[in-house]
Amino acid sequence: MENILEVKNLSKKYKDFELKNISFNLKKGMIMGFIGENGAGKTTTIKAILDIIKNYKGEIKIFGLDNKKDEKNIKEDIGVVLDDIFFPEILTPFDINSIMKDSHKKWDSDLYFKYLTDFSLPKKNQIKTFSKGMRKKLEIATALAHHPKLLILDEPTSGLDPIARNEVIDIFQEFIQNEECSILLSSHITTDLEHIADYITFINNGEILLSKTCDELLDQYGIVKCHETDFKKIEKRDYIKYKKNKYEYEILVENKKEFKNKYHIPTIDKLTLEDLMVLMIKGVK
Amino acid sequence: MIGFIKKDLLMIKSNIKTLCIIMFVYIFLAYQGQMDFSFILPFMSVIIMISTFAYDSYNKWDAYACCLPNGKQNSVKAKYIATLLLIIMTTIIMMIITIVISYVYQNKIDINAVLESIVVTLGSTIFLQSIMYPPIYKFGVEKARIGIFVIVFGIAIIGSFLYKYIDFKSISSSLAFLNDYGIIIIPIILVITLYISYKISETIYLKKEY
Amino acid sequence: MEIIISNSSGVPIYEQIKDQIKAKIITNELQSGELLPSIRNLAKDLRCSVITTKNAYDDLVKEGYVITIPAKGFYVAEINMDIAHEEQLNKIENLLDSAVILAKTNNISKDQIKEIIDILYEEEK
Repeated sequence: MENILEVKNLSKKYKDFELKNISFNLKKGMIMGFIGENGAGKTTTIKAILDIIKNYKGEIKIFGLDNKKDEKNIKEDIGVVLDDIFFPEILTPFDINSIMKDSHKKWDSDLYFKYLTDFSLPKKNQIKTFSKGMRKKLEIATALAHHPKLLILDEPTSGLDPIARNEVIDIFQEFIQNEECSILLSSHITTDLEHIADYITFINNGEILLSKTCDELLDQYGIVKCHETDFKKIEKRDYIKYKKNKYEYEILVENKKEFKNKYHIPTIDKLTLEDLMVLMIKGVK
Repeated sequence: MIGFIKKDLLMIKSNIKTLCIIMFVYIFLAYQGQMDFSFILPFMSVIIMISTFAYDSYNKWDAYACCLPNGKQNSVKAKYIATLLLIIMTTIIMMIITIVISYVYQNKIDINAVLESIVVTLGSTIFLQSIMYPPIYKFGVEKARIGIFVIVFGIAIIGSFLYKYIDFKSISSSLAFLNDYGIIIIPIILVITLYISYKISETIYLKKEY
Repeated sequence: MEIIISNSSGVPIYEQIKDQIKAKIITNELQSGELLPSIRNLAKDLRCSVITTKNAYDDLVKEGYVITIPAKGFYVAEINMDIAHEEQLNKIENLLDSAVILAKTNNISKDQIKEIIDILYEEEK
């Protein structure tokens, strides 16, 4: 399967933060969840992909094309939702349509207004009268209305209530019904991603800690809970990280089946992305 | 590009009322025989256009524009063109009002005077735009205001300094040709100024990070 | 077609999908030649990832329950009921094996286990 997005050795230095040699690929037709703490580098990575920050090193290819040299062509086929970045709020959804139909070759007004109706958004009110959830929905409608092939979404579900989140996730899944389309979605609401993401890329402190299929993570990885006496028997190479709690040890293991066969510790929980994040960040080796 | 120009023009939609009020005040004044204020409407439209920068930066529009096809190349250009369009439109409206009212008064219309006032209006407003925009792109509207004060004061101080020590008679005589050719020379100077201003703004814009 | 997915059971989701489709094929609820929903469609309806449904289908193809026709989709295969039956029996044997081991270590007699099976059979009806 072809890669729709390739990030190779991306680095960027700020005074107090650094992206260190980030590499990952997103295949056609897939959803990649990009997870990490606030300030881990998700937004910076996304901005580098979109080439709206400067002086970063590394190679970024979208649809097999260089993100700088072929910027115009690439951007015809990308839809974006970025945190706090949008049209000036004195404009209305109606204005956005008349602006966008002269900005995007493939802008589809009918589709755009269909989304507005589906989301029950008013068409002629200024954006500043919208609630946070309504704004997000409008941003999503705007990102989808030119039939993009790649959606780049930075925290698209933040600020949405569970019902709206459900609606939005349905739309994302509907979007990849076309095998040519992919989504890169950053979020810290990990339960959304557990359901729909095909790949999970986990970034922490400017470094990629892992990039794997979601199934591999959720089905193979596990969390072992045990007492100190059991913990002392476990060899270092058999776990990734552990965290000592008040009553028990929590241990992140890469292959829960093998671990179970070797150590016969009964309590191995199914992993959630939230556990994974907490243990990877707070745990020690 | 047309999309972006539309965006800048749509943004002043909510200010159209203000512009209309100014227009009616002018009609009233002109009716009283006071026709010297024809520059006010184009002038106000530049000021209103400048206020759109504040909304742009509040919602980080520039970053969003960069995610659209050709967004980086067109953003600044569209702002300049939209402002120019607005200046030209409002100037034309004012001229029509002036001519109509003069006609109602059965005054003889001095075509030269009308042309002169068009040149002066366009000249001063476009000059205002050329001076204001680069610092706004560099520092944002809030900080740029202070910068513009400094520039204006600087010019005033230097001007008064020069006035004291330089023999103006020789200069004004050498500038006498402006009276004859001003209508041709001033537009050329304006176009050059505007172009330089645009290039500076664009360079600043392309260096920005979001 | 009904498929019920539990997020808390600990059984991988692709396995749940696979087992349920397999059961429907064996019980003839899905008949051979029948077109199955596409990978993407099923993923959307079950609200899981595309890779999950793909894994489930891949396994079903490998085990011979489903055939794939390129550019058309996935169809229920002509299955040999005996083999399918055999496979299910094997599975049951494995499950019972651990029950028997547990019974032996705890000195529980064969009859007692049979009794339990009788009761369970009645209840499940």
